[in-house]
Amino acid sequence: MIEESDELIVRAARALSGMPPTKAGAVARVLMAVRANQARPLPFWKRAMRRFDETSVSAKAAGLLMAASLVIGFFARGTVGNARDSFAGGSELSGTALQSIANMPAESRPVPVAVAVELANAKTVAVVGDFNGWDPSVTPMQRVGKDGPWSATVLAKPGRHTYAFMVDGATLVADPRAPRAKSSDFDGDASVMMVRTP
Amino acid sequence: MSNFIRWTARLLGVAAIASAPQFVGAQEARLLAIRDDATRDFVRQFVEAARVRGTPTEPLVSRALEGVAFKADRKRIEQAMAALEKRLRRSRDLLGAKATADEVAAGADALAADVPAGMIQEMKKLAPQRQITVELGVLTELVAKGISPKVAAERIKELMARGATGAQLTELNAAVQQDVALGIKPVAALELRGRGVMSLLPPPASVNSAQRR
Repeated sequence: MIEESDELIVRAARALSGMPPTKAGAVARVLMAVRANQARPLPFWKRAMRRFDETSVSAKAAGLLMAASLVIGFFARGTVGNARDSFAGGSELSGTALQSIANMPAESRPVPVAVAVELANAKTVAVVGDFNGWDPSVTPMQRVGKDGPWSATVLAKPGRHTYAFMVDGATLVADPRAPRAKSSDFDGDASVMMVRTP
Repeated sequence: MSNFIRWTARLLGVAAIASAPQFVGAQEARLLAIRDDATRDFVRQFVEAARVRGTPTEPLVSRALEGVAFKADRKRIEQAMAALEKRLRRSRDLLGAKATADEVAAGADALAADVPAGMIQEMKKLAPQRQITVELGVLTELVAKGISPKVAAERIKELMARGATGAQLTELNAAVQQDVALGIKPVAALELRGRGVMSLLPPPASVNSAQRR
């Protein structure tokens, strides 16, 4: 129980009575400042993080989240990062890329096809075609010996494909040993490769 | 514990966002090979519009990149893509909604070689449960050798009806190619080699069971 003559209360009353009087409108100014601070919008990421933190996550939801990520990971294996490898010839294929190819139905499964060409004066040769997106960086060809033919292996799905050789990064040359592709779309010669079902 | 869950969920979210472009942006990354900004923008928009229409987009991207490899100008690439998209849509209509992108592209090539639309449809009817990508490719090549589209399509249909496989038809095409190189007329080579393949096929009575395989 606290008595009126308590020394602590007396000291507190004395200290408070010594404070300067409150200026008129001070309370209103403080409230306006607080309101103005609240009105300033937070950046998007801060709001998102705050909302996320305010959301309660049940153990069941967390379990579902983890399970979903495992399922996505299982089905996405071999597709992310390997999609290009799967159809790129001339380079070594990763195990997952080979596995994803093996899982395809036979009629759409890419098969390795060897291509070779004699281009004695070429410094670099790459095979480009619809099987590698006409990208010269995908399938560079290797020279057999010092002055031998250029060769590479591409992976192509069964069916008809058009291709050509990119010589020294500038000139497209058709394969002299393959039928020509008749195309009125672009000037220049391409060749045709028929790939049979494995 | 709840903090652990929150941070795990955050990490998973970041991983999902980081990996999404690898699915969606694979074609986009390939478009970077097109150095001209205006052409690249056109191709990107064209491909997106085709995707919305349900047309296979991979042949369109490939055709644009082929144009780049052949140093074609923007107008030429635009024309080539527009013509191809028209053929792809026609091909898809002929082959049915279940046709694969490769099959639709092969049908579009056949149409470009002036193979009658009705012939493509009839070929598909002979093998409704499987892809006829190889068959259409062989047909396109036979026509390219100078054989009339109608004659080539009739011969392929005849062989398919007897149960010829895609591999047998590919070999037929290679044999015709060799004969033509030796100076034999393409139509005569097809007739000769076609008979050779036919002789290897089972008699008509057992074709139905072979086709169901």
